[in-house]
Amino acid sequence: MFRLLEIGLPVALVLRLTTVAVTLALARHTSWCRRVTLGGSIVASVVTVGVSIRVLASGIAIDGVLLRHVASAMVFGYVITPLSAWFLLVLGLVAVPVAAYSVGYFAHAIAPSRTAGVGIGLNVLLGAIEVVFSASDVIGFLFAWELMTLATAGLVATDHEARTSRRAAFLYLVMSHVGTGCLVVAFLILAAKSGSVSFSVLLAGPIVARPLRDGLFVLFALGFGVKAGMIPLHVWLPEAHPAAPSSISALMSAVLITTGVYGLVRVCAFGLGIPAVSWGFALMALGTLSAILGVLYALTQNDIKRLLAYSTIENAGIIVLGLGAAMTALGYARRDLATVAVVASLAHVLNHAVFKGLLFLGAGSVVMATGTRELERFGGLMRRMPWTGLFFLVGAMAIAGLPLLNGFVSEWLTFQALLLGFTSTSGLLRLNFPLSGALLALTSALAAACFVKAFGISFLALPRSSAATDAHEAPLVMLVPMASLAVLCVVLGFAPGLVLRMLSGVTTSLPGLTTSTNLVSSGLGLASPLPSFDHLVPPIFGVALVGSLMVSAVVAARTGLTIVRRAPTWGCGGELSAQTEYTATAFSKPLMMIFRAVYRPTQEVEALAEVSPYFPHEVRYRAQIEPTFERYVYGPLLRAVLRAADGMKGLQAGSLHAYLAYVLVLGVLLLLWLGGTS
Amino acid sequence: MSFVGVDGLRAVFAILQAAGMLAAAPLLKAVIKKMKARLQNRQGPPLLQVYYDLAKLLHKEPVRSETASWVYVAGPRVYFAAAIAATTLVPVLMATAPLEAAGGILLLVGTLALGRFALATAALDTGSAFGGMGASRDMTIAALAEPALMLGLFTSALAAGSLNLGGLVRSVLHNGVTFHPSDLLAFAGLFIIVIAETGRIPVDNPATHLELTMIHEAMVLEYAGPDLALVEWASAVKELLYLTLLADLFMPTGIGTSTAPGAIAVAFVAWAGKVFLLAVAVTVAESTNAKLRLFRVPELVSISLGLAFLALAIRFL
Repeated sequence: MFRLLEIGLPVALVLRLTTVAVTLALARHTSWCRRVTLGGSIVASVVTVGVSIRVLASGIAIDGVLLRHVASAMVFGYVITPLSAWFLLVLGLVAVPVAAYSVGYFAHAIAPSRTAGVGIGLNVLLGAIEVVFSASDVIGFLFAWELMTLATAGLVATDHEARTSRRAAFLYLVMSHVGTGCLVVAFLILAAKSGSVSFSVLLAGPIVARPLRDGLFVLFALGFGVKAGMIPLHVWLPEAHPAAPSSISALMSAVLITTGVYGLVRVCAFGLGIPAVSWGFALMALGTLSAILGVLYALTQNDIKRLLAYSTIENAGIIVLGLGAAMTALGYARRDLATVAVVASLAHVLNHAVFKGLLFLGAGSVVMATGTRELERFGGLMRRMPWTGLFFLVGAMAIAGLPLLNGFVSEWLTFQALLLGFTSTSGLLRLNFPLSGALLALTSALAAACFVKAFGISFLALPRSSAATDAHEAPLVMLVPMASLAVLCVVLGFAPGLVLRMLSGVTTSLPGLTTSTNLVSSGLGLASPLPSFDHLVPPIFGVALVGSLMVSAVVAARTGLTIVRRAPTWGCGGELSAQTEYTATAFSKPLMMIFRAVYRPTQEVEALAEVSPYFPHEVRYRAQIEPTFERYVYGPLLRAVLRAADGMKGLQAGSLHAYLAYVLVLGVLLLLWLGGTS
Repeated sequence: MSFVGVDGLRAVFAILQAAGMLAAAPLLKAVIKKMKARLQNRQGPPLLQVYYDLAKLLHKEPVRSETASWVYVAGPRVYFAAAIAATTLVPVLMATAPLEAAGGILLLVGTLALGRFALATAALDTGSAFGGMGASRDMTIAALAEPALMLGLFTSALAAGSLNLGGLVRSVLHNGVTFHPSDLLAFAGLFIIVIAETGRIPVDNPATHLELTMIHEAMVLEYAGPDLALVEWASAVKELLYLTLLADLFMPTGIGTSTAPGAIAVAFVAWAGKVFLLAVAVTVAESTNAKLRLFRVPELVSISLGLAFLALAIRFL
């Protein structure tokens, strides 16, 4: 069994390829095709989880050869380091429930003619991400990176009749390729300087000197930042994530963004030599910006999938903030701080994947049941979809960073890292740490408000439309995967030591961190009184909370038989209806007013009256927030590109003579240049 | 601090402290009400009236909305449970918190956030516009208060080198109360936050039921009987908890460092005195200010954020 895991990654990839082939063959038999493609995907993901747990448990990397191209003598190898294994584990833990959920979801939500396409896309995407996490050389990495981009673009465009889907896919492709372009340039520079395309040489330390190294950092940060959804490179994310089928959105939000994070960790933090302090602060600033703007934009969204997509930007920000703190610490050669910060960042990668996967699956069930993504058309779903509601609530509480759930753990760690950063560095710059901490606190409180809205408006009170009234609970095959993710949220929140035990293998394998293998009981962060990390939210506090809950039940239980009287809610003198309920727009209105400097909202109210202006029979309200980045960053950029293209039109006039002249001029110039150098 | 060595002892300590806070919390509310009445030249209700009210509510028949689900029932219970559980994380009479080994300040803030989340979610469940309005405003103010609260707490924590409330108190005791300018600024900042978090004037008016101005009251408007009693009681506990926290952070003088009965008695008197003084401050603030418009609250909170930041800068630069 263990011997088999040694070659687990190739096995998983072969499984995925076989699945793709069989899916193609069965394309006409929709229901078989669906079962095969998703079943194969589940088996392959389970193998991946097995391999990654083996590497994390032993702390020893597994390497091997994926493909040997005889003619060009090229060898594409892989190496699963503990860091790769961590990301593979995150991928597997989400991919299994997502695929299982899709068995039910595809049957209802994907047109039969597209099942094969989506299934193939899913398998190719997962396989490509697996190679991204484990490629041992630049060529294989970039190939897989591109394959991943294309597969995602195809999945985003599943519903290609809709103009918005096509646009989202196009935007995603453009942004991704700008990012990939940056990566190609940066890797080429590194490869030229080191004379090798293997990561073991390329990313072994400082290959180039400072000014160029800074330039490389910027290129890599841009390239990986696009995938991680960092603001201001995020513009594709809120378009592309909602456009894809919901279970694919779950995968994109939970796993796809982690490829960017993996790149940042692997290359920017640990691949270019000891990072400069300024790099760390730059990433901290970008992370904080992404977190706070991400959650602010999420708050005003009334489309549930867009809301979740913006919240992904927020969480990516928190991850990058932790990583930035780690890089700053590496720059200052503070091992203990760097370790806490890396652990915080990587733990949040897992936690975010689990709760965001859960939330997207929950949203998928709701969208499937109601046929709309508008929060304002949900309502009252708790009675119609009790289980989906419960699981969504667990996810919402986890993402709000509430104790006893997993979101709290990584936020706690990030706060620890930031406070420790303040005490263990000196100078004015260290004020950055508590300031980021304050903004992180704001972020998590706003996230709580955001998910009170997302859950409360969707699942509670009266149905707001006939679609919500007629909604039905999702089938068991979709509920079980959600249940497993919800359980994972609780388990990881209650036993955070589990995560840390696995992460200690990762931290020992990375240069510049503490080599102590016992992270769990070494006491993390600021004079931590914790005898061991298992006590972060110690079971005794959980017992206290449950005990208090029982006390409250006892206190509130009336002596004698308690008969609850049911009465209608007071409708302020009128009939209580969906119209009198508080809306999603109204819920976020105070925050929209308070942060109007960020949103720059435009709103118009129009009252239609027939008799007297004091008795309008209809009031129309329209509010819009300004797409700041799209308008002020990408707008001018786009116009400049178009202008440049316009200017260059003259060069490519379609005249053969002109082209021959270019060749001639180029030839002469080359000859002159060569003659000059020799 | 070998005092909390044994888990069993610790549990007894936690239960005793939680029970004590539960019993004392309504009295704080009553004292503030009484003082406020006296400042307005009124007699005010007797001090025990708050307890009678709670008892009355607890014996009433629960009435719940037809549209509500189990979330509505769970809300007050989780809110109440979170408040009780939070009391076990704060040192009251002893320079150590019963469940000190837990996540410290961050767990305390998180636990209170859990209660708020539960109550705000439940408020949306009846379909009444009031619940939604209250939930929206309560979450808004909480979100704005959070960074100032955290920054204020961080300043104390960084000075003490511990995020743990017990460790923090012991560190201040050890170094002595100095009235460092940074402490005064941080105290002022946190006092504003405590006012905002406990729903006092000028942020919220606990006595009003006027549609346009209520925040917390709007959120719990639909609750009746035992459900309402839980909410009221938990809010009182939360207020006592915040005042105790202020006393702990800035003037832990008198707090018990041993289990000797004499030391505990002194600690009790000191704690009661400090909380009373803070209650006077809250009453005066409430009686001399008018309630702010909702959209003026951010200005107040940013003053607090500024104070907390200045405190941090003065302390460490």
